Amino acid sequence: MTIKQGRSFAWAIPTRGTRERSARRQRVMARIILLAPALIVILATTTYPLISATLTSLRDWQLIYSPNPGAWVGLQHYADAIHDAGFINSIEVTLEFTVLSVAVSTVLALAMAVVLYKPGRANVATRAVLILPFAVSAALKGYSWKFMLDPGYGVYSKIIGFVFPPAQGYLWFTHKWWTLLFLAMSEVWGWAPLMALMFIGGLSAISPEIFEAARVDGANAFTVFVHIMLPLLRPILFIAILLKIIFSLKLFDQIVTMTGGGPGDSTQTLNYYVYQTAFRDLNMGYASALAVILVLGLSVFAFVYVKVVLGKAE
Amino acid sequence: MSVRVSRTVGRTWHGTAILLILFFNLFPIIWIAMTAFKLDKDMFTSHLIFTPTLSNFTTIFSPPLNFGPLVVNSVVVALGTILIAIPIALTAAYVFSRHAFLGATAILVWILSTQFIPGIVVVIPYFNLFRNLGLLDTRMGLIIVELSAVVPYAIWMIKGFIDGLPREVEEAARIDGCTEIGIVRHITLPLAMPGIAVAAVFALVATWNDFMFPLILTHQNAETLQIGLMSTVSATGIQWNWMSATGLVIMIPIFILSFLIRNYFVQGLTMGAVK
Repeated sequence: MTIKQGRSFAWAIPTRGTRERSARRQRVMARIILLAPALIVILATTTYPLISATLTSLRDWQLIYSPNPGAWVGLQHYADAIHDAGFINSIEVTLEFTVLSVAVSTVLALAMAVVLYKPGRANVATRAVLILPFAVSAALKGYSWKFMLDPGYGVYSKIIGFVFPPAQGYLWFTHKWWTLLFLAMSEVWGWAPLMALMFIGGLSAISPEIFEAARVDGANAFTVFVHIMLPLLRPILFIAILLKIIFSLKLFDQIVTMTGGGPGDSTQTLNYYVYQTAFRDLNMGYASALAVILVLGLSVFAFVYVKVVLGKAE
Repeated sequence: MSVRVSRTVGRTWHGTAILLILFFNLFPIIWIAMTAFKLDKDMFTSHLIFTPTLSNFTTIFSPPLNFGPLVVNSVVVALGTILIAIPIALTAAYVFSRHAFLGATAILVWILSTQFIPGIVVVIPYFNLFRNLGLLDTRMGLIIVELSAVVPYAIWMIKGFIDGLPREVEEAARIDGCTEIGIVRHITLPLAMPGIAVAAVFALVATWNDFMFPLILTHQNAETLQIGLMSTVSATGIQWNWMSATGLVIMIPIFILSFLIRNYFVQGLTMGAVK
């Protein structure tokens, strides 16, 4: 994908200067007309809120007391955030969740890809199933996993209790790390198959002769995986993990439908904490400051992602 | 171990692995689909055999839940969003693909980076703006905010497709005196149709499945099905068979659409970064 010089053949035909100028003017006009609607919408729906949130973050604004923003307080909200235990906790929870869900997704996705990358009817049919979990809405993911993990009647709880009897009837959602793990699993359920599809695309591009040569040299499956598959998958692994990190840092829907931030505040992610500050505490000024901090954190990963995508494009 | 034995062992392993993969991916979906047809007395059991009932669907579509209008809202918001987003994304994508001008790359990078602005940042200012404008709890308000996620994405997606199209037909039309807008309409639009369809499906799925925007911006009149899920909570807890029936109504159209574009799924999500 390159942005090539968009000149038409018409430029090669000798014309008088005035016609040439009017043709160019027409082209510039057309460009403006074609671009303007999309650019206006993007400015209005992303840049405007970003600027508005940044400005609000510098003001005192408690919605319970006033429908309009109040006095300018400078960087006070940002200074407050550093000492806000709830906010620091939400950063920790978000990072814990991200590490957990990225690690589990990647390992499971690699395992699925290794099983399914070769051609064959069973493999191709199974691959078709892999897009389904990702298409399930996150809110529904949260509810369905909560349902299946209910200690009394949840079907996953029963299966776990059958395989490992001491865990029977265990109240998973009363314990921080179990809750985080199952929260991650509800997310992994959608992401691992999707990442597996990306890896399968990468693995099927590797020539079969390479695997054949490795086998002739006496390499076992593990050696082939570590020394051939992983290095060749590196660029795709990088993009897939980056994308997964960005989405994990924004986790919100399942917190509402699965844990409500609990037990205690142990699954209050950053996004959920900002939401609570804005729409439960109605503290718009402070919530905006937290939201801006979230944007800054995400932008580090977004920057790398944009660089990678542009690198591929050129 | 002889070759034949090791091959049989390998095949058994592979078969077991495929079964595990199918179980992991499909089981929650199957379980929701089954629970949607269970009576209250079967809801808390794990029996695979039960007497199926349609009563949960009658329940969710009649008062007090009354999810009919929620379906309408979900459909209107999703379709409204793509009907606005796709045409403007197409014309912009055409310009980025075919015109070279100062700042084009910078604008494209800006568009790509807006993808990563989290929804909560968009929704806080819009909540306050809509409160003043009377757009809270309206489908129009919801559509405006959904555009924030859909338009930048659709531009990149469609641009990728136009980049792969030959330029010759456009050049011929240009020599014949066709205007730029005419070219987009009569040449690029039909040729880029597969790409446009994929972008439209992605936008539709994203809007249909969105939870945060309707959660914050709607209250009663413009609630979507995703919020309907929350209404299946009763005094005694969540009525799981109603929740599952709603879930099934949410999943079915999305599965059909996703299946139609399955070959583009990975490419679509990564905006072409992974082919």
